[in-house]
This record gives sequence, C-alpha cells and structure tokens, in this order.
Amino acid sequence: MRFMQWLHRWVSLILIIQVVLWLISATVFSIMGHHGMSGHQYMRHIHPEMLADESPQWSIQQVRATHPQADTILLTNVLGHPQYQVNVSGKWLYLDGHTGQPWQTDVNLAQALALASYDGPGQIAEVEQVTGAAEVVDWSAAGYRVQFADDLNTRVYVDAASGQIVEHRNTPWTIADWAFRLHFMDYSGERSFNHLLIWSAGLFALWFSLSGLMLLIRNISQGDFNPRRKPTWLEQLQRDEKPIASSCGGGGTCGLCKVTFTNNDVPTPTAAEKVMLSEAELTAGLRLACQHKVQAKDAVELANENVASHLLTLQNKRDLTPSIAELTFTSASRLDYQAGQFLQFKIPHESTVLERHYSLATVPNADNELVFTVRHMPAPKSGVPAGVGSSFLCRLQPGEHVEAIGPFGDFLLTKASSRQQVFIGGGAGIAPLRALVQAEQQSTTPRPAMFFYGARNSAELCYTEELEQNPHVTYVPVLSAVSEKERWTGQTGFVHEVAEAWLREQDAQQVDVYVCGPPLMLEATMKMLAELGVPRDHIKFDDFGI
Amino acid sequence: MTQVTRSSRWRVWHRWLSLIFGVQMVLWSISGAYMVFFDLDYIHGDHLVQEITQPIPASTSVATIGEVLNAHPHTQSVTLESLWYDGRQQAVYKLTGHNGEQLINATTLAPISFDEADIEALATRYYALPEPKVESVVYLTDNPPTELNPALLPIWQVNFDDFGSTSLYLSESTGEMLVKRHTFWRGFDIFWMIHIMDYDERVDIETWWLQAFIFGTFILMITGAVLLVYTISFKRKPKGGAA
Repeated sequence: MRFMQWLHRWVSLILIIQVVLWLISATVFSIMGHHGMSGHQYMRHIHPEMLADESPQWSIQQVRATHPQADTILLTNVLGHPQYQVNVSGKWLYLDGHTGQPWQTDVNLAQALALASYDGPGQIAEVEQVTGAAEVVDWSAAGYRVQFADDLNTRVYVDAASGQIVEHRNTPWTIADWAFRLHFMDYSGERSFNHLLIWSAGLFALWFSLSGLMLLIRNISQGDFNPRRKPTWLEQLQRDEKPIASSCGGGGTCGLCKVTFTNNDVPTPTAAEKVMLSEAELTAGLRLACQHKVQAKDAVELANENVASHLLTLQNKRDLTPSIAELTFTSASRLDYQAGQFLQFKIPHESTVLERHYSLATVPNADNELVFTVRHMPAPKSGVPAGVGSSFLCRLQPGEHVEAIGPFGDFLLTKASSRQQVFIGGGAGIAPLRALVQAEQQSTTPRPAMFFYGARNSAELCYTEELEQNPHVTYVPVLSAVSEKERWTGQTGFVHEVAEAWLREQDAQQVDVYVCGPPLMLEATMKMLAELGVPRDHIKFDDFGI
Repeated sequence: MTQVTRSSRWRVWHRWLSLIFGVQMVLWSISGAYMVFFDLDYIHGDHLVQEITQPIPASTSVATIGEVLNAHPHTQSVTLESLWYDGRQQAVYKLTGHNGEQLINATTLAPISFDEADIEALATRYYALPEPKVESVVYLTDNPPTELNPALLPIWQVNFDDFGSTSLYLSESTGEMLVKRHTFWRGFDIFWMIHIMDYDERVDIETWWLQAFIFGTFILMITGAVLLVYTISFKRKPKGGAA
C-alpha cells in the first residue's frame, strides 16, 4: 500500500499537467460539440446536376481506350460540366468530360465552387492560389484558398486537379484543432492518437488512476467515508488542540505524529509505522497517531510530554560567522528540554503561518535562556526571496516576540553506553551538536568524544574556543574551500572523509555517532557510516537543524 | 493552537471527490489507454478487407453513356467497374440519382440484384485474411445491431468465423461493402461510450453530466496538487530517524 501511495504521488507529479490539459481540452470539445468543431457551420453539400442535362462529348469508350488499366471510371459533373474520375491502381485522375484532357480549375470556377458549398452570411473577400495548406493536413496538391468575410472567418479550400471542395476551415475549427493537439499530445496537427508520447502518458495515467483506486478501496474498507466512524488519534488530538506535529495530514508519510500507547495491548504496527519508526520505538509502544482510530480501551501519551506553546522574546542577537547568527530568547513559560531537541517556530508569512524547526544550541541553563543558531539563507538567485524563516528571525529585534512549540525530537545522547562518542556536523548543524557536547560534559562520567565540524573556510567556524577548551572533546575543524592567505594548518577536505579516516582506526562496534548538517553532508556521512559497519542503532542524526 | 491541519482538510476533500470523480477518472484512463494503444487503422478493420474491382478487359464492350441515360434519365453520376456475380467478374454500371443507387449490367443494361449466394461470394472476395470461413449471411431489414447505423438498412450482414468475429455489411442494391466490424472495433465502441459518457447513442459529447464530471475532476486534481506540495519529499525518509 505504501508503494501504491508512493506510485500515486510521484506519477501524479509527472502527469498532473497533462491531466489538466486533458480536462481543459475535453471541456472545449464538450462545449463546442461535433458540429461546432467541424468547421462546417457554413458548409452545404453540392448536389451534382443531372447528367442528361449536359452529356459528355468524350465517350466512356474513349476513356477506356486511353486508360485500359482503369479499375473504376466515374462520370459526374462539376457545377454541370461533365467530369470523368478514373482510378488506376488506387490513384485518381480527373478528366474534362468534353475533351478527355486533364481537368482544369481556374480562379472563377474555384470561386463558383466555394460559393456553391457555402451557405453563410459572408461574401468572398479573397482568393489565393495555394499548394496544400498547413491546416489541411493530408492535402498537399495545387488549389485555391477562398476567404469569406464572415463572423467565423471561413476559409474554403478547392482542389485544382479535381475541382472538389477539400475542406472548410474557420476560427472555431482552429480552436478545436488546438484542443485536439493538447488532448492527443500530437502537435503535428495530424490528430493521431497512436504514438509513443501518448502511449507513455496513457500508461502513466493508468498507473496513476489505478493506484488511486486501490488507495480509495483501502480508505473505504478502513471506514474513512463513514461519517460516524471514530476519528484517528491524530484527528482527536488535533481537535483537542494538543500539540502534535504532522506535515502530511494523516497520510502516514511524514512520521511526525508519534505517540506512545500506554495500555497493555498496543495495536499491531501498520506498514507505514514499520517504515517510519525504529524497532526500538515499536517495542516501546510508539505508534503514529494517524494510523489508529480512537478506541475506548486505548490510552495514548504524546511522545513529547513537555510539549507546549511558548511565547519567546528575543534578548540578544549576534553574528557568529558571516552566515550564522546566534539568537537568544527567553520564554514567558517554563520550557524544559533536553540537549539535541528542537522547537517548531511559527513564522508569519503573508496570510499564513509557516512552521520552521530550529534546534537549541545549549544545554538548559538556570536563566531559562534559549539559544538558537540561524543560518542566513541567501536568495538562490536575484528575484527569488531568501529563506522565509531565517529572514524573519534575523530581522527580529530584541524585545520582539515569536511563537514556538516544543520541545520535539529524539536526537539525544545515548544512555549507559561507555562507547566513544563521535559528533559530525556542518553549517548550522553545530547547534544541537554543541548542546549534546555540553550535556556530555556535565554528566558525571563524561565519555571520550571526537567532534568533526565541516565549514568552507576559517571565517565560518564558530564556538571554536569553547570546543577547543573542552577537556573531554577532541575538536577537529575541517575546511573544504580554504584559501592560501588563511594559513590554515588544520584538516582540509570534506568533513565526512576526515571523520572516515579516523573511524577506520576504531572499532566500528564501539562508537556512538551523532550527525547533523546540510542534506548532502548528511547523506554522504550516513553512507560512509554504513560502509564502515557502524551499527544503525548507534547512529543518531538530525535533518532539521539546518 | 491547532497544529498543521490544513493538509488534513485537503486530504478529506481529495478522498470524497475521488469517491465520485476518481472512479470516472479510472474509467477515462482505461478507455483512453485502449483507444491509444490499438492502432486506429486496425480498429477500423482495414486489414480485414481488400479492393475487389479489376480493370475490365478491353474485349468487353459496354453500353454508351447515352444509352444508360436514355434508360435512366434521372442520374447524377455513373460508375463503370467490374463486380463478381453469377459466378464471374462482370462489368457493371452503378447509377446514383435522387433515389439512391442502382446497379445494372454494363453491356445489357439489365438490372442486377443479389441473392444470399451472390452476397456470400462477394463478401468472401472482400475478405482479406486467409481461409475465409463464412458463419452466416443475414438479410437485415429492422432491429439493426448497435454496431450498424440504422440509416443503412436494409443491408446484408455476413459473419465470419475468425479471431475477431468479423462482420461485413454489404449494400443490398450494389453489393458494395459498406461497413466492417470486428471484436476490437466493438471494444473501441464500448470504451468510446465510456469515455464520452453517452451510454445511449454513443455520439453526444455535450451532455451536462460529462461537463460536470470534467469540472469535478478538475477540482479533484487541484486538491491532489495541493497535497502533492504538502507531502512530496526529495529526501529519503530514514528508518526511525531522529527528530
């Protein structure tokens, strides 16, 4: 089912524009109708005259003699003038019925034919000799384009070799033609719906709608459409205005709405929970609130009991590096947290409120000061706004307020293990790592710790003194884009590579690793740790503290 | 202090709309896929039939146009071609006038009519696949099958025992093959009906309910697009990750 959800979502991302185009063009078709799209609003059929009124002077026997291979010989007339149409091996020839010579259509005849086929209110405005026409796809022969001055901008195409009306075209036809191009994804104008592009779109559409159908069936069988069904715990907690985080809205895909079931028979984990929660969390009774309906026998606890809304007041602001600022807040209400946790800030933006997560950069202190590091997110290019959350916070002046919820997160120190502690960080990922290092230092028996911190150049390093002076920590700054004039004597390269070199010398089973930093660094580090064989439950990381 | 409930609300709308319009979306994609995956010429049955007229031998003399028009003065067009009847390929004139079409022997000008054996022989010649096996020949005067335009009645229906249950429809007056049908055309017709939601005549694309479903599906897509913005993530969600 999760695969279905994944499939549904990603296929829809690719397909949604085409689905909207299908709907728009279908609307055009449905509003115009077959007749409105035909271009034949002012077209009438030309009935041939009686042949007896003007018999051909060139006999059918003469036609047979000159075209012995003819499969079919048709005698008709064009506005009364006799005409032979001769089919030789699938190809049609047109002969003048009086002379047996190839049929000729001059401008006057073309005009007369166009008029005979037209019953609209307009007059002929212009006659033009043409060879084929872009808007008549399968006609490339010599002929005439007869333009009528009418409300629909009617054009009549006359084929010179046969003296036949090829097509009527007008403005509604052109509109419909574009709708056909969009609907059939055939931009050649041939209105073909048998080609590779639409085959692929057809397959995607099938996957898309069938995966949706299966999800729908699952929802029906879960009773999601029953108006009297019990709410999920997520819905119940949201209704009760309890502080529970969710960014997917109950789809089981963000993993934020963790709760602990306190009764004895904890519900069986769903597929979503098996992916989003760790084995230890499942055993401890943690579940996702969106996955289980409220049952009278069940009782849940918010995974973060201390979570509450806090009104923060900015006390102090200073730049740690050219790109990272340190903000110190106080809270009106008491806020108990553990090192490594984060708060969800409510950032007013235009008419809505956005949530942004920032990790606390210190251990809790007696003054209840809350310290955060905020990276100025520069505009990716000119004209694009800079990061909404960081811009707001960096503009905040001492004395001003912001609302935040928390604390959240289980990026915490491991307990009761005597293993070597390894911190790997980069950028604003310094915040929770610094808090963890401080916490470790305060513990009764601090464990040995390595701290690898990556930056581009020495100007981007922060809290250097504090970390270097900590007797329990070996601090290893690593610069990736160092310039010669900095006279840097420390490590260079990528932080995960330096950490790897050191880790290779260690027993991979005997380390606890904490990782926090930009996505690419995080990904590279996780890969490196997996390759070195560091057990997965010895690794903790935080991808919000960026 | 309600937390993120906006996406929940969109999700509820998305589910309810999909209950009504999503089901039609499934039908649209299945029928659309059928129609695009089968080649239109194949659906039309172009592979089932072949041209049967042949050049008339120079030795065969035919009546002049004057003689034809004397006998049939109300004629708008005359076609000279050859056709198989009475056990051989013969030259015929097909006359078109206000009263429809008529077939006469091109040499004697005698009117030609077809019996069941003539029609079967003609249909077998039209049939392009190897080893034609005629299952039945039916003269239809009323109650046409849905695959046939009632305006073409009366007409001969020749059914073949083959992979696609081919039916050829031959004109009563000229023996000309007018309509060809096979299983995949019939499937296309049903899917077309489903696609345009005209379950009766299978032609009307302007019904209010079709327009209503297009509009409803549009709203469904908008709710889906909003959910997409909320939920799609380029980050792999790590198992049991921190924070």
